[in-house]
Amino acid sequence: MIGLLIAEWRRMVVEAVRYPLDTISGMVTLFMLFVGLFYGARYITQSPVGGGRLDTVVLGYAVWMLMMAATSDMGWQIQNEAQNGTLEQVMLVPWSSRLVFLVRGVMAIAAFLVPCAVIIAGLLAVTHAHFVWTPVALVPMALVLATAWGLGLLVASLGLLIKRVGQMMQIIQFLLLFVIIAPIAVLAGIGWHVVAMLVPLTAQVTLLRDLLNGVSVSHWVWLEALVNFAVTLIAGLALFGGADRLARRRGILGHY
Amino acid sequence: MPVTNEMGAAGIQGGALEVVDLSKVFHTRTGAIPAVQGVSFRVAPGEVLAFLGPNGAGKTTTIKMTAGLVLPDAGDVRVGGVSLWARHDAVTAQLGAVLEGSRNLYWRLTVRENLEYWGTMRRLSIRAARQRADELLERVGLADRARNTVQTLSRGMQQKVALCQALMHRPHVLLLDEPTLGLDFESGEGIKRVVRQLAQEGTAVLLTTHQLDVAQELSDRVAMIRSGRLVLEGATADVLARYSQPVATIVAATPWPADMAMRLAGLPAAVTGVDTLSVDLADDRGSTLYQVLARLNPHPLLKIERHQADLAQVFQEVMGDAAGEVGGATPVALSAGSVREGAVTS
Repeated sequence: MIGLLIAEWRRMVVEAVRYPLDTISGMVTLFMLFVGLFYGARYITQSPVGGGRLDTVVLGYAVWMLMMAATSDMGWQIQNEAQNGTLEQVMLVPWSSRLVFLVRGVMAIAAFLVPCAVIIAGLLAVTHAHFVWTPVALVPMALVLATAWGLGLLVASLGLLIKRVGQMMQIIQFLLLFVIIAPIAVLAGIGWHVVAMLVPLTAQVTLLRDLLNGVSVSHWVWLEALVNFAVTLIAGLALFGGADRLARRRGILGHY
Repeated sequence: MPVTNEMGAAGIQGGALEVVDLSKVFHTRTGAIPAVQGVSFRVAPGEVLAFLGPNGAGKTTTIKMTAGLVLPDAGDVRVGGVSLWARHDAVTAQLGAVLEGSRNLYWRLTVRENLEYWGTMRRLSIRAARQRADELLERVGLADRARNTVQTLSRGMQQKVALCQALMHRPHVLLLDEPTLGLDFESGEGIKRVVRQLAQEGTAVLLTTHQLDVAQELSDRVAMIRSGRLVLEGATADVLARYSQPVATIVAATPWPADMAMRLAGLPAAVTGVDTLSVDLADDRGSTLYQVLARLNPHPLLKIERHQADLAQVFQEVMGDAAGEVGGATPVALSAGSVREGAVTS
């Protein structure tokens, strides 16, 4: 297991360092996207973005970046590996394919932490915002990422079968933006609680936001976040296993 | 420190590759396509089995089912008696594969980085992977290319590195799908040399190729598949002997004299050209050729050659025969020796 972690970490770091332009262009794109939205919104509305809570806006963007990376990486990797002709070799290693791609998802986020920190620092600099990170936010942040990996496995499952995840990711990135903004988890009523438990990431994002803002968090939100995390991850693992088996049955693992 | 295969230590200690009654039907919009139908064969440790067939015959599907990349509808794959689908990870750890049409490697990583990555992914320690990578690169003559990225290597070198990655964990079974396709003479020879060495060391090698000379040179056994069915299987030497004709050809250094046909009267020999003649040895008891030579004396001769079939001729003949057979019943004509012909189903 340690060997698997080390192998994936080294591969990712080597590729990122050897081809820095890929990493840098990604960082610049994410930075420019926020700056464009930020100044664009301020210019159009002629009023402060985020109702004066710029720190929340930057934090939301940072969480969205991490969620996007965690959700999309496995699917992109499967598409690229199928295109480059290495996917079948990956499927030949004596590890469960679920574990291999989950580890890849985790390592991708680990490798993205430094670029992400640089982007956030840049955003804080241009917006003159600042926020204080509290250790208590680590748990909901971990829940956000673990759930996003579960969602990533769902995307990767489709990637195994159809190999093209680009169109799907364009839709998912807006859905993720929606779950950051929509306050589903704090809506009253059993029906909304059930929705918050089933719509990936809604409760986790609310939990993270409330804890960082010093708002008292109800037990419902914690419960929703935990159930949501468990449901998404288990569904992701189950679906990926099923997709792996289906792809092998159809003989399309190496197809692109 | 010797490099060990940890999964080997966990249970499977080598042994033969057994493919048992594999079948696969692909369902497409145009209907069901029976890709592989009841294919069985065995590759013993130290043996090279050449698995031959025309395009679309089911070779790659069979090799991918053997690797576990395609799930069969029926049948089993066993290594050392252990079923692939019962203990997938343990059996996979005993398999190495170089797949045709795949790069098998990360082109942005160096040769050494690739080998260390694949070795570690196959449960070697980093130190063991590094040591094994050095050993293999030395063996294929690419030690001086260890720091080059794979994309900068020639096709032949890339194929050698792909072979090395498949060998990192010292697999008991090696699956090679067109390993010498598109390689120049020198690279092809290098790959063949390594395959021979691996077989000598006890690796069971399943080789598919369209290069029949390569198959003939490397294989101990040969199996031929057509339309998803095995139509011939046997020891390569037996197969070649079975398809060789009992005919000798004699080539003269100068044209035969006009009365040569008369001189050969009563013997099973016939002039076939201005300077060639053939001798039928079907009923030969050892003296026919000498009797013919006595009649030819003192005409100068260039060479005497007994007909020896090569795999290309066998392939052509078998595939021609099989075209009429595979659609119907299951004719199995066993000849002398261990050659199984017809629709070989078990």
